[in-house]
Amino acid sequence: MRQYDRFQNRLTGAPVDRPPNFDIMMQFAAHYIKKPLRAYYQDYRVLVEANVAMVEDFELDIVQAISDPYREAADLGLQVVFPDDALPLSNTPLIQQPGDLAALKPVPPEHGKRMHDRLQAIRLFRERVGGKVPIMGWVEGALAEAADLRGVSTLMMDLFERPEWVVELLEFCCQQALAFAEAQVKAGADIIGLGDAVASQVSPEWYRTYALPYEKRIFDEVKSAGGVARLHICGDTTLILDDMANSGADIIDLDWMVDYAQAAKLYGDNGPALCGNFDPVKIMLQGTPDEVKEAVTYCLDVGGAKNFSCAGCEIPDGTPHANLQAQRDVLREYKSAK
Amino acid sequence: MNEFVEQLAICVERGKVNKDAPYPPDLKGQDGADELAKKALDQGLKPDTILDGCILGMDRIGTKFSENKAFVPELLMAAKAMTAAMQHLKPYFQSGEVKRKGTFVIGTVAGDLHDIGKNLVAMVAEGGGFEVIDLGNDVSTDKFLAAIKEHPGCIVGMSALLTTTMVNMEGTIKAIKEQYPDTMVIIGGAPVTQSFADKIGADGYSPDPQGAVALLNKKVA
Repeated sequence: MRQYDRFQNRLTGAPVDRPPNFDIMMQFAAHYIKKPLRAYYQDYRVLVEANVAMVEDFELDIVQAISDPYREAADLGLQVVFPDDALPLSNTPLIQQPGDLAALKPVPPEHGKRMHDRLQAIRLFRERVGGKVPIMGWVEGALAEAADLRGVSTLMMDLFERPEWVVELLEFCCQQALAFAEAQVKAGADIIGLGDAVASQVSPEWYRTYALPYEKRIFDEVKSAGGVARLHICGDTTLILDDMANSGADIIDLDWMVDYAQAAKLYGDNGPALCGNFDPVKIMLQGTPDEVKEAVTYCLDVGGAKNFSCAGCEIPDGTPHANLQAQRDVLREYKSAK
Repeated sequence: MNEFVEQLAICVERGKVNKDAPYPPDLKGQDGADELAKKALDQGLKPDTILDGCILGMDRIGTKFSENKAFVPELLMAAKAMTAAMQHLKPYFQSGEVKRKGTFVIGTVAGDLHDIGKNLVAMVAEGGGFEVIDLGNDVSTDKFLAAIKEHPGCIVGMSALLTTTMVNMEGTIKAIKEQYPDTMVIIGGAPVTQSFADKIGADGYSPDPQGAVALLNKKVA
């Protein structure tokens, strides 16, 4: 069975030869092909080469154009520094005063250097593995993008002190995300992931007010363009599991703090597919292959017929290859147990 | 309980910074932490009383945070209100009239620029009565060592948001323990766990700010 067919079948709970591996790979993948992170973040050819290696060598069932949170923000004018082999850095918020928002206009994705680079990655994926391996693009959720532009702490206090202005900012961020998501599907992405990390840091009520409506609009756009929607919120989302299902996401990632069995029970067979959720550090980075096998198997056992195998968040740089091979081995053998 | 302490604690807990602050709406137009602290000093109340109100307010919001009854924005607003009150205490700290429980040196580990967790812990620690030396983000081992030298007897806190940077904690802790073996080091951050803390030789771990302050209080008790 090809990766793409495995993915499509799993989405609906139809039979698969083995559960798909949807691990999020970024820094690990770059270093695996012996490239510095700076190159991974800035040169789509490096990103594509690294992702294809993950498919070939660790049997991942996805290639992904996710890299860092600053694609949209950099094109909007945020100063981002790229150290040679470390994460991109941004020290000064683009929106320092609320009035700064008025000067910003959404950037057409093809015209933005970093967004264009991601579109190029998707096009190259299409050439290399299109139709065989699902291709995932990525956008920042409106709340996450607002935090990228304004600074997390300042935005959190803006929510109390100038909520009407925050809604204007979110609308702006949503417009940027809508354009970027649509462009990525047109470029050939099968899936659009939406990262909304900061959404796990606010109350459920505020999640419903300031994050969910925009996630839903972006996913509506993704789906009407023909893509599959994947929601990724880092952190403990236990309190908003119900609400996340209302985003319209086809796939919902869960970080390791969430009770996977409880989430699977909550969503049931007719809800979104789950993706998760063993601990990327304790299990993947620091655990033994046996511990990886146990954790991966547990998630498959409790996650329901539609669940995708995945660590709760990015596979850490420095993860022993034997641990990724252990995950691969469990997935290979799992079919015979079912 | 002293009526002023309770009033100030309410302002801190609910994030009422000053009279002009629009939040919380039901306290609109009323004195905030800023005015209450100033009036208290003008009326001759002991400066310690202001610290007591801040500690009580931050303890309440910190407890709610630990119980998932308050979230990061609420904690940040409480810290903002606390800071508005504490600014009136600066001269008393400098003169020694008001004493802190101890000194807490904190920073994000080398390579990590994500400071919200570190900031929250710093704010709650300050509200808990500690002098906080905030070294900022992406703090090198040398910088931690220099701060310990400058503040003998301090407790060190280190945070990391990323799995890729948390591993840098180990080298920094090793260097601290080699030069200052009696220095207590506590760590935290989204990917950090107790088992990771044990593995790299940290003296304490907390998943939330309130737990971090409990560790500090235990050390100075």
